[in-house]
Amino acid sequence: MGADREGGVRRRSGRAVAYAACGAVLLAGCASMPDSGDLRDVESTPRQDTGVRVFAMPPAEGARPGEIMQGFLEALTSDDPQYDTARKYLTEKAAASWQPDESATVLANGPSVAPATQPRDREASDNGVTYLLSGSRVAAVDAEQAYAPAHGSYEASVHMTKDPKSGQWRIDGLPQGVVMGRTDFQRNYTSVNKYYFASTATVGATGQPVAVADPVFVRGKVDPMTQVVRSLLDGPSRWLGPVVRSSFPTGSALQKGVTGLAPDDQNRLTVPLNAKAAQAGPAKCTEMATQLLFTLRNLMPTLESVELRGPGGHALCDLGEGRADAVAWHASGQRPDYLYYLDGKHRLERLPTTGATTSAAPVPGPLGDGAKDLRSVAVARDEQTAAGVSADGRGLYVASLAAGGSLGPAVVTSQGLTPDNRLTTPSWDARGDLWVADRDPRDPKLYVLAQGAGKPERVNVPGLHGRIRDVRVAADGVRVALVVTDGDKESLRIGRIERDDKSGAAPTVVELRPAAPDLEQVTAMSWAGDSRLVAVGLEQGGVHQMRYIQVDGSTLDGPAPAALSGVKAIAASEDERAPLVAYSEDDGVVRLPSGAQWQKVDKDGTAPVYPG
Amino acid sequence: MSGDRTASAPGGPGERPGRSAGAAPAGSRRPRFLEGGLLQGGVQGSPVVRLFLRWVRRPLLPVMRLWRRNIQLRVVAATLLMSLGVVLLLGFVVIGQVRNGLLDAKVKASQSQATGGFAVAKQRADEAASAAGGAPDTDDADGTTADGRQSQNVIQWMSDLVESLSSGGAGAFDVVTLPVGDESGGGRSPRGSGNVDPTASVPAALRERINNSTTAAQSYTRIVYSGGRSSQPALVIGKQINDLNSHPYELYYLFPLTQEEKSLSLVKGTLATAGLFVVVLLGAIAWLVVRQVVTPVRMAAGIAERLSAGRLQERMKVTGEDDIARLGEAFNKMAQNLQLKIQQLEDLSRMQRRFVSDVSHELRTPLTTVRMAADVIHEARGDFDPVTARSAELLADQLDRFESLLADLLEISRFDAGAAALEAEPIDLREVVRRVVGGAEPLAERKGTRIRVAGDQQPVVCEADARRVERVLRNLVVNAVEHGEGRDVVVRLASAGGAVAVAVRDYGVGLKPGEATRVFSRFWRADPARARTTGGTGLGLSIALEDARLHGGWLQAWGEPGGGSQFRLTLPRTADEPLRGSPIPLEPKDSRRNRGLDEAGVARGADEKRATVPVRPGAGQGQQLPAHAGVGSRTAVGPSAGPAALPGNGNGARVVPRPAGPADGGRSAGGTAAPRGHDDRPVPGQTGGSPEGAGPKDASEPGEAFRGR
Repeated sequence: MGADREGGVRRRSGRAVAYAACGAVLLAGCASMPDSGDLRDVESTPRQDTGVRVFAMPPAEGARPGEIMQGFLEALTSDDPQYDTARKYLTEKAAASWQPDESATVLANGPSVAPATQPRDREASDNGVTYLLSGSRVAAVDAEQAYAPAHGSYEASVHMTKDPKSGQWRIDGLPQGVVMGRTDFQRNYTSVNKYYFASTATVGATGQPVAVADPVFVRGKVDPMTQVVRSLLDGPSRWLGPVVRSSFPTGSALQKGVTGLAPDDQNRLTVPLNAKAAQAGPAKCTEMATQLLFTLRNLMPTLESVELRGPGGHALCDLGEGRADAVAWHASGQRPDYLYYLDGKHRLERLPTTGATTSAAPVPGPLGDGAKDLRSVAVARDEQTAAGVSADGRGLYVASLAAGGSLGPAVVTSQGLTPDNRLTTPSWDARGDLWVADRDPRDPKLYVLAQGAGKPERVNVPGLHGRIRDVRVAADGVRVALVVTDGDKESLRIGRIERDDKSGAAPTVVELRPAAPDLEQVTAMSWAGDSRLVAVGLEQGGVHQMRYIQVDGSTLDGPAPAALSGVKAIAASEDERAPLVAYSEDDGVVRLPSGAQWQKVDKDGTAPVYPG
Repeated sequence: MSGDRTASAPGGPGERPGRSAGAAPAGSRRPRFLEGGLLQGGVQGSPVVRLFLRWVRRPLLPVMRLWRRNIQLRVVAATLLMSLGVVLLLGFVVIGQVRNGLLDAKVKASQSQATGGFAVAKQRADEAASAAGGAPDTDDADGTTADGRQSQNVIQWMSDLVESLSSGGAGAFDVVTLPVGDESGGGRSPRGSGNVDPTASVPAALRERINNSTTAAQSYTRIVYSGGRSSQPALVIGKQINDLNSHPYELYYLFPLTQEEKSLSLVKGTLATAGLFVVVLLGAIAWLVVRQVVTPVRMAAGIAERLSAGRLQERMKVTGEDDIARLGEAFNKMAQNLQLKIQQLEDLSRMQRRFVSDVSHELRTPLTTVRMAADVIHEARGDFDPVTARSAELLADQLDRFESLLADLLEISRFDAGAAALEAEPIDLREVVRRVVGGAEPLAERKGTRIRVAGDQQPVVCEADARRVERVLRNLVVNAVEHGEGRDVVVRLASAGGAVAVAVRDYGVGLKPGEATRVFSRFWRADPARARTTGGTGLGLSIALEDARLHGGWLQAWGEPGGGSQFRLTLPRTADEPLRGSPIPLEPKDSRRNRGLDEAGVARGADEKRATVPVRPGAGQGQQLPAHAGVGSRTAVGPSAGPAALPGNGNGARVVPRPAGPADGGRSAGGTAAPRGHDDRPVPGQTGGSPEGAGPKDASEPGEAFRGR
């Protein structure tokens, strides 16, 4: 009995101890930071916009002419959607005729204001004052919102008069468009690629159209999405227009009064279109949606689908992110399988881009077996064919990357005296055409080989001064980047490729325009996006450095790649996920994975290329 | 009050004041009632407000009642209230301190940050100015005035400045520039980083201060964002700085206090939670402690109530050895002692009664012999000398008195022993009254008193014991004649509402205040010095009272000094019927007070007053008596009522003085009313039941005292 009771007591006290221990453990769990736990998604928070905003102020009562001038110029740099505040500085007549969207003139340091001292003005305008705006031009954005670098000095006069009714000074004569300094322009404007389809090029067996980027500048803080959509519907810029087509029927526009387009919670954007656009068939409509999706995704990368609506709100078609890539071929949507470069024995080797491995292997086929020493190579976008320039630069050879082939004769040969005056690095476009230039100073030529196999055709480049030192054709096959040497000045130029497939005549490269006017020397370059190049060059009075360049000549906000010395060649893919690869004299082939430093790939390697 | 009405209503027939008292008070009572309601409510507003207040108060009444009665509730509520107050106070103090600490740190860091920023801005302006001055731009070289060049580039320069200053602390602070001066700003626009609305975010007072001085100043504000973000509290530090053209502008650093607010709200939340728990804990503690104390107290109260109700064997349950247990033990000991004492007293009382009874019996036998001898002597007194003859007469007289005293003693001891039996039969009280008056005629003639009988036109029939009623009435009439000082004695009969009454009115010396209740005491004498001329035993009224009670009726006395007195016997018409009122008011209409008040009322000439007048004397009388009765009953609830009643039944459990007798009388005003509660006492007291109920108690005290002496 006594033992029983003792046992019961012991059991009870044991249970109490257990409870206390449980409680203590629970409490201890609450009292310390957790070192384990369940998995959870992290919701992405939108980055805060820290940009500076200028808040335009309407003119003050009785403001002096100088203050009116100053206030007007400040209002031009503000986020006022229709420049309503700026218009308050104008007389009614001037406000009605002034069109701020006509153009945007970018000056290096902003306009400087000075009262005009010409007595002629004073006499002509009885009680008016004339101010002179001056500065050095950097660029101009035209009415199509296309950017164009510019130089020279800018001068414009602004006339001011006293409003007879209110007795206030107001501007009654001014140039059209807006004018602002470079940093203000960079703050207020955003570059966006509009996408159209190359009118001649198709890719693959299904004949996918090839998307061509047409960069424009929109005011980034004033409903950019609607602006971009309007701009896309208005058609391609004048420069690109002849070689691209838009799927939108002529006269397509947003429905009247549509503003503030924004995606909904599911990252889905609904675009209401007018009746003209609604006439398009389902296939066309899908292409239209593709254009929209490609365009808007570089403004808002999280956008997942686009739905087009006709008048009355009925759905025309919708397109998700996944299907868009099937509708149209899109360079930045292609992921290269391999990185190619020449090893120490001048053989072509390849390295998978996926994974961090650095174990390269020679490619199958004649280029990989060392039958021919190579100086530079280019691999077709389908990675089935490669073209190589022999070590002496005399001949261009095209061979399959399939095992067992043999190297044929050179398809192009150069008669240059030195290797540097012979063939350039070849370049493939998405159609499969192979481009190469002969640097012979006596007879510089640019060749194109249709499908990489045909007879080399000489490409006419009207308006070219100097000789082509390097050529890279864009993936879309309608633009080509050329490094042109004129005397001792080198410049990077973008040309438009015009073909006439019906007549069978050789394509021409027309309307060359500068992409990097501030570069004096361009050592190497490569396409690094739909409308972006990466180039190694020398700025006026600067040092050799690597940087990204927008094809329209504007400078990009993004950071430049980490510095590397002695870069002789550079390779980048349109797909931004693929690392940048360079050949440095000191370190051989190196690559730059995102968020890391340069890594050595092959000490003895040279001429790295991605397909293209 | 209602009792008052029922008391006077039966007396209505043939009595004007009674009727007026029945109708008029109904009218006069209403205003008074309303007045009382108003005063209770404490609001002198419209009926709507009053109605609303009453509607609001009604559900609260049970709560108020609970609040008044429940000590536990009060203690817990007070504890909760106090602890809540302390927690709130503590919370305010702690939050204030934390807030100050957080702000101090933030302000210091912000100030150094802003000072650095101001220095950078100044340096940039100097650099830009010297660069512009040192190397004038060739574009502007010709014909541009100094002013023209100076105004160049400031737009872009300032935007760049704001951007570079704010890029250092994305999220940590925002930078705003404002033009000096008023809104116009001389054509300069405000700038802000991070979507801050500059003009709305910088307080006007700070701006004015910055405008007028060159030192930095700080203030608290709320940042307003233009992008739909909600505004935030912030610290703003500003300074007036020159731009590259040496034109002043205002540069502000805005430091959002988001983090500090989060910390503060964390502290707030923690404190609130902790405070809530503490308050609940304290409330629970108070509840437990009070429960520990209150439960035994409640138990003790219950036991005490039962003890006072006569269940003397009740005891508290005692567990443990703490203070409460000691209380319980002491309580039980007290109850035990009380029970013991009461038992002893009962035994003693019973013994005494037996003794009195035995003595009376034992005295009769020798007394009979003495009587016969005395008769012989008395018969032969003519043969004695005058002195001896006088002695013989005295002897006979005193023997008569002795005999009647002995008879009364026996009678009263029979009542005390509960041996008295009622032999009720329907009788006409008029006959009884006639017999009594006839019997008292000789005495009346001797006193020169005329006895009048009123209200004998109709038969006054009731179920009663004719012998006892006659004894009662004889006693009353003889007393009236004896103390009537030769004036008329009026015997009034009446019957109404299930009751019959006989009132005997005299106009003699009357009774002093307080004597009306004591006249029924045994051996009580109004004036001890006054001789008993008629040889009364001092037990007559006591026996009469017992007789009346045996019938379930009342015997009440009223008197005023010099105004005579009136004794009223009220009997139920049927034996089992309880009495609710008497057909005859206890205080006669021709009392001096009534007459005086009547005159006064007429003089004032207010109808309502006259209507209330008949009521008031009754109330006054009632109040006068119960005031006495109340004290007596309250001080002697258990113990004094018990012994007074016990002689009758000998059963300790019953407090009712008349066990076999009519329960009606006892119920209406007897001993049962006393234990039932004090609350009931004053109300029946006004009906006239109370005087009677108080009578026996008061009567018992002198009786006991006498016996004890």
